Amino acid sequence: MRHAICLALGLLLPATSAAQSDAPPSAAAASAAAAVQPEAVAALERMGTYLRSLKNFTVHGDTTIDLVMDDGQKLEFPGTVDYKVRAPNGLQLDIRSDRKERQLFYDGKTLTVYGPKNKLYASTDAPPTIGALLDAASDKYGIELPLADLFLWGTDKAPTASLQSAVFVGPARIGNSPTEHYAFRQEGVDWQVWIEPGAKPLPRRLVITTTDDPAQPQYASTLTWNTNAALKDSAFTFTPPKDASRIRLVEVDAVAVGGATP
Amino acid sequence: MNTLRHPVSLGLCLCLLTGTGALLVSSDAEAGPHARGGARTSVNHAGGGARAANVNRGATANRSANVNRNTNVNRNTNVNRNTNINRDVNIHNDIDVDVDNRWHDGWYDHPVAAAAAVTTAAAVTAAAIGSIVYSVPPSCVTTVVNGMAYQQCGSTWYEPQYAGTTVQYVVVNPPN
Repeated sequence: MRHAICLALGLLLPATSAAQSDAPPSAAAASAAAAVQPEAVAALERMGTYLRSLKNFTVHGDTTIDLVMDDGQKLEFPGTVDYKVRAPNGLQLDIRSDRKERQLFYDGKTLTVYGPKNKLYASTDAPPTIGALLDAASDKYGIELPLADLFLWGTDKAPTASLQSAVFVGPARIGNSPTEHYAFRQEGVDWQVWIEPGAKPLPRRLVITTTDDPAQPQYASTLTWNTNAALKDSAFTFTPPKDASRIRLVEVDAVAVGGATP
Repeated sequence: MNTLRHPVSLGLCLCLLTGTGALLVSSDAEAGPHARGGARTSVNHAGGGARAANVNRGATANRSANVNRNTNVNRNTNVNRNTNINRDVNIHNDIDVDVDNRWHDGWYDHPVAAAAAVTTAAAVTAAAIGSIVYSVPPSCVTTVVNGMAYQQCGSTWYEPQYAGTTVQYVVVNPPN
């Protein structure tokens, strides 16, 4: 009899916590502290530590992004993202959609934005590390790198203290690879990551739901990794093609930024 | 046979041109759906300095810069449903698929980009120095002065710039 009661309680508890994670944001905020599972946080930290240990890698992302129309209708746009990275100071980013192509080159000294179709490039002095580059690109030039988390996890720029919820969803497969599916909640975003188990805890898929828009648009990417890539210096230094033209990269308006920030 | 084909081809050309013109006009009139925002492409924000812990504010700040650019064009008729969003984009610009049109605030171009309103602005004979548009008419000529590219459209000169990863065109005095 006692056994039966214990079993029933045991079943009840996970069900309750699952219900909490599905609750609307206001309810979740109230129970936020209880919803952070240490094992989910630990998995995130393992992934971050491993990502920071990578020296030369490439990652390809098949992506979709939602845009929200004024009437709330969501449109989805597919694309790809390709990073070539040499820690701590080499980065090339290629981003393609059916409408636009952009490349970004960074060699520890210079940042260049280039449009392969429009043949326009802009170069500027850049800070000495990828981490500092991300800051400068965002703050000074208004360039948010997609999947910037790949460079932020495992650093103090992605503090686990900001997690309002962290849950292990269960085992899953991405392509043919076994992964472990986790769900997290932070201010403004609900996000999910599928992490490879074992010695290479790489993120294989990432879904980010923007929750401060009632339409909740999503950005999803499925990632393919090469963690030991042979990268040449030329990958990070932009050499303008003969028919390319140089233009300026303007700094974002500091006054407007400050004035509009609540 | 040849003499017959030529008039046919010419007729076809005219039809296409007329059709194109009509499409532009209709896009001006309709304006199409406007994107009010897009999904975030990263969980955490790199920038923000002291605001690092408050991840959303950083994005807000950056997007606000876009607001400013729009203001210059005087075509902000969208309602700001969120404080951080004021992206003015029009649909029906399939003509400019490979051109870099305005798009929300990131790397992702899409069909809901500005062509119509912008094209109209560029057609104004005396564009104010410092005003900004997101595309210029196809009749403009690329001219390189002191290693920098300009677009010359009649007597109006535009300096293309990357604002973020979007190309914008600023009306400037003729460069020396």
